This record gives sequence, C-alpha cells and structure tokens, in this order.
Amino acid sequence: MGGGTRQNWNGAIKMSGAAIRLVCCGKTFADGTRALEPVNLEFDSGETVVLLGPSGCGKTTTLRIVAGLELPDPGGCVTFDGIDVTAVPIERRNVGMVFQSYALFPNMTVAQNVAYGLKVRGLSVSERELRTRELLTMMQIEPLADRHIDQLSGGQRQRVALARALAPRPRVLLLDEPLTALDARLRDTLRVEINRLLRSLGITTVYVTHDQSEAMALGDRVVVMDHGRVAQIGTPRQIYEAPATRFVAEFIGTMNVVRGEIHDGALHFVGGKLPVVNGGSVRQGEAMFRPEDLQLAEDGQPPHFGGRILVSLYQGDHTRIEIDVGNNRPIVARIAQRRDLKPGEHVHLMLSMPAILTPSNE
Amino acid sequence: MRKRGLAYWFLLALTLLVSAFLIVPVGMSILAGLTVNYFIGVESGLTLQWLAQVWSDHRHTVFLSLKIALACLFCTLLIGVPTAYVLARRQNAFTRALEELLVMPVAIPGLATALALIVMYGGMGDFRRSWSFILVGHVLFTLPFMVRSVLAVLSSIDLKTFEEGARSLGASFTQRFFGIVLPNCRSGILAGSLMVVTLSLGEFNMTLLLHTPLTPTLPVGLADAYASLRMEVGSAYTLVFFIIIIPLLVVMQWAAAPARIGTGQSR
Repeated sequence: MGGGTRQNWNGAIKMSGAAIRLVCCGKTFADGTRALEPVNLEFDSGETVVLLGPSGCGKTTTLRIVAGLELPDPGGCVTFDGIDVTAVPIERRNVGMVFQSYALFPNMTVAQNVAYGLKVRGLSVSERELRTRELLTMMQIEPLADRHIDQLSGGQRQRVALARALAPRPRVLLLDEPLTALDARLRDTLRVEINRLLRSLGITTVYVTHDQSEAMALGDRVVVMDHGRVAQIGTPRQIYEAPATRFVAEFIGTMNVVRGEIHDGALHFVGGKLPVVNGGSVRQGEAMFRPEDLQLAEDGQPPHFGGRILVSLYQGDHTRIEIDVGNNRPIVARIAQRRDLKPGEHVHLMLSMPAILTPSNE
Repeated sequence: MRKRGLAYWFLLALTLLVSAFLIVPVGMSILAGLTVNYFIGVESGLTLQWLAQVWSDHRHTVFLSLKIALACLFCTLLIGVPTAYVLARRQNAFTRALEELLVMPVAIPGLATALALIVMYGGMGDFRRSWSFILVGHVLFTLPFMVRSVLAVLSSIDLKTFEEGARSLGASFTQRFFGIVLPNCRSGILAGSLMVVTLSLGEFNMTLLLHTPLTPTLPVGLADAYASLRMEVGSAYTLVFFIIIIPLLVVMQWAAAPARIGTGQSR
C-alpha cells in the first residue's frame, strides 16, 4: 500500500479487530430447512474474509450467526478473541453491520444516523459530535451531514451506512452484499474505496457477496460456499488458480472442462491433447483450464489442439472465441493476440499452463 | 396558455356539480341555523340567538363528546400502536385471525355491539351510568382504524431491517421502539388519530343505546334537538358541530400530509 493511496483516508483511525471462531455452527430453520451444515471457520484479527456463493448457499446465514442475529443450532459456538459470545445478542456484541438495503433511519439526518450508535451507548453530546465529525470526514460526506436519507444517492447512502457502522468502534465489521443495490460503475469505484478503507482500519471484516470479482478484489481470504457447506477456503489466488472442487472452479470465472484419457503426462481427447499436472496414476478424467491460458499456436509451434470457431466476440483488448473440438461443450478462449478471428475458421491453440485435473470428490 | 380539451371542461363541470350536490345542503343547514325564522327564509334576517341558545343549553354535550373523543384517542393509541407493531413483526395464522377479529366491531351494526355491551355490563350500575361506558363502545369501534392505518405504514417500510440495524448499533428494545419504530410510523399514527377522533365525535348508532339522560353526547343531543326543538335550534347545533370538527380536520390533515418537513435543500 503506497503512501499516496492513504491520503484519501487520512482520517482513518486504526481499530483493533477481534479474532472470530465459529465451531460446529449449523442452522436449521423452524420449518425444517437446513440453511447451513455445521461449519468450522476461523477469521484472524484484522483480516478481511469474503463469504462467496450463489443465493441460498448459507453465506448470509453464516454472517447472521457471527452478528448474533441468528443462533446456531445447539452444539454450535461462536467466539470473539476466545470468549464465547454464542448467547450474547447483537446489541451487546459490538459489531458494526452494513445491510444490503443499508437500513438507514429515514426519520433522522445523516449526522443523526451516524451518531445513533453513540447515542444509545450513552455518550455525551460533545463526544458524539466529535466522533460523528471524524467519521463524516473519513467517509468524505461532511457536506451531507444535515441531509435526510431520501435526499441521498445510492453511493452516498453506502458511505453513510459504513460511517454509521464504524462510529461506535466495533470489533468486527459485517457487510451483507453492500454493493448489490448500486449500478456497475459505482460498484467499481466503491469497491476500490472499501478495499482501501478496510486495509487502513485493520478491523476484522466479514463480507458477504455473490459477486466473484468483488470477492477476489476485497478478500484476504475467500470462503466459497455451496448448499450450506464450505467448498473451499483460500486466498483469491488459490481459489482461482487451484480450485478444490468443480463447483469452485466453475463459480469463479470461466472454466473449460474436457474429458479424456490420461497417459504420458497429457490428457488425450478428440480435439488433441493437453498437458496436465501430476496425472500419474489417473487413467481417465477431466481437465480444467482457464480461457486466458489459451493462445493461438504460432507457425512452427506444435499446437495442443485445434477446432472450428463457433462464436467470435471482439472486445478490443482481447477476442473471446468459442471453439468446437468435438467435445460436448465448446471451449472458450480469450485470445490476446491481434488477429482477425472469424466464425467457421479453423484455429490451432496452445495451453500456456498445465491444465488441472478435476478433483475426484465431484 | 395551453388550450384545454372538451373532456377537461366536461369533467370540471361534473366535479363541480357533484360537489355542489354534496355541499349545498350543508350550506343550507348552516344558513338555517343563522336565520331568524326558517319558514319565512333569509328575508326574516340573520341572528346568532340560536347559536347562543344551543351553547347555553347544550354545551355540556359538546364537552362530553370532546372528552370521550380524546380519551378514545388515548386508549386506541395505547392499545392500537403496539398491536399494529406486533401484527407487523409476527405474521402467522394467529395474528392474521386477530387482525380479522379486530375489524368485527366495524362490520357488525353499532346497535348490536351496544346491545351486547348492555347485556354483559348493564348490571354494573356505576359503570353503566358513567361516560366510560360510552368510551368502551367507541374504543371498540375505532380501534381497527388506528391499527389498520399504523399497520399499513409499518408494512410499507422494512421494519425488520431497521430494527436489526438499530440492534447492531447497540439499541435496546425500548430505545429502538421509541427512537426508530414510532417516528417511522408517525404518518400512520396521525392518520389513525384523525380517523379515531372524527369517528368518535360523530358516533351516533352505538351511543344512542349506550348513553344515559345524564351522559348525552353531541350527536345524541343533536338528534334530540331536531326531534323536539325548533328547526333553527337543530341547525345551529349542527353549526356548533362543524365549528368543532372542521378546524380539527384541517389541523390533523395538515399534520399528516407532509410526513416530514425536509431541510429544503434537495439537490
């Protein structure tokens, strides 16, 4: 983090974050729906962890258990810094929360919203004003202090919600799809800002999203969830480059999958052969690779496989093509080379990285 | 100036006609209350003597009606707002049934409700004779209007998330009920209050049976006046009712309309 990027957040004050542990936390709702299989998760102090998955995967339930809005099923246990807080309601957990709809109070001004958490804690008026001013400055929303919530744009509401959640100096910051309600351009800007803010605050953050690019950009670690289970925990790089399951591979970005026979360190299929990592003992299998790892084979280079272009989309910095290789699914390639690629044309491709063999558990 | 179409003028005329149809009788009634002799007409001259007579002979009914209406408002606020809150927060078969049951006193003719009250509590002499007996009837009748209008506002906002937000900031139940829930259903409370006060002031059906000669309300006294006194006195009595209810309506409408007066600097 360079000194230059800090200056926007020079108002930010380091906070100390709690280390969070979820032990065997499952959630079954009153109607018998199993929202979350018992999971064990550990979030380090000051770390930003993103819970990522499709809707209904249990990510929001996990967040609500950390927050204290839901009780885990009997046997589950939540600790902050080693202290059992399972039975402590959210009012006394000292967590800051940002909701998808922001939940800003329409009967109050921006400043009153930010000061609310301080007011209910019984802080004096002068202390409240000082801290509110501090937060408004940090979030660059000072001129909005006396506005009412319905006079704010989506991005402004987002900043107010963050300021309000951070004002009482929480030990944990919880964000539930905070950018989903915004349009794409604003989402990109705010993502950068939130990232910078979280780095400079040093607060333990749990961030829920279904957007994989948000997860990659913000998370120190990403927990990918599916059907109430944890599919993989890892850094964004691990999740993208070494997905543990087929679900993770296909949920994060685009992944090509081909089926074939493995021998001599390569997977052989109808369109050609692909280099694979440690294909030693496996004889039959599926190999996965990313579209951006493919390139056109130059003259004289032996191609790995070839096929006919079905679709070609020129994107400026790259061309996205779909190739028929006799596989049941076409292979997607992201070609950075500047060449005119037309549907119907036959191309030869090379894979620059060894393909990943599909883990056997799926 | 933009030229308006034929439809505009036709609708305007229709609106004015319907309004006149409704308002002219009211105007006639007011005029009758100020005329020296109704049978001769306005030529007989205008006078305030009927108003003065009504005020000196019947003002106790006016005060009783106002007292009951305010007490009724107090009771419906105390019972109705928390009821609406519970109905909004807990949606299940029981609360839905309760919501339907609450409306029963409106659906059933007032006479029937009044008779039921008399059959049940008529034997409790002091209670039967006091004005609080009328109050019970009025609360039964007006409560659903309060509950409904508060519930309508509570259902239109994301109450659950607001409360979760307040909880995450450390607010206790009392703090968030008075600091978040009540201020955010202010418009519903005001609209409900308006309904309750006007309905209670004008309630006649039930009150006719519930009142005693010692506890006549304004509408009961009004019916009495039309039945037994001069036309002019009855009309003057109506005028008194208007003088009370119209400013009340205007004030409460004004209070309910702008849910909040903004800071005026919307961009």
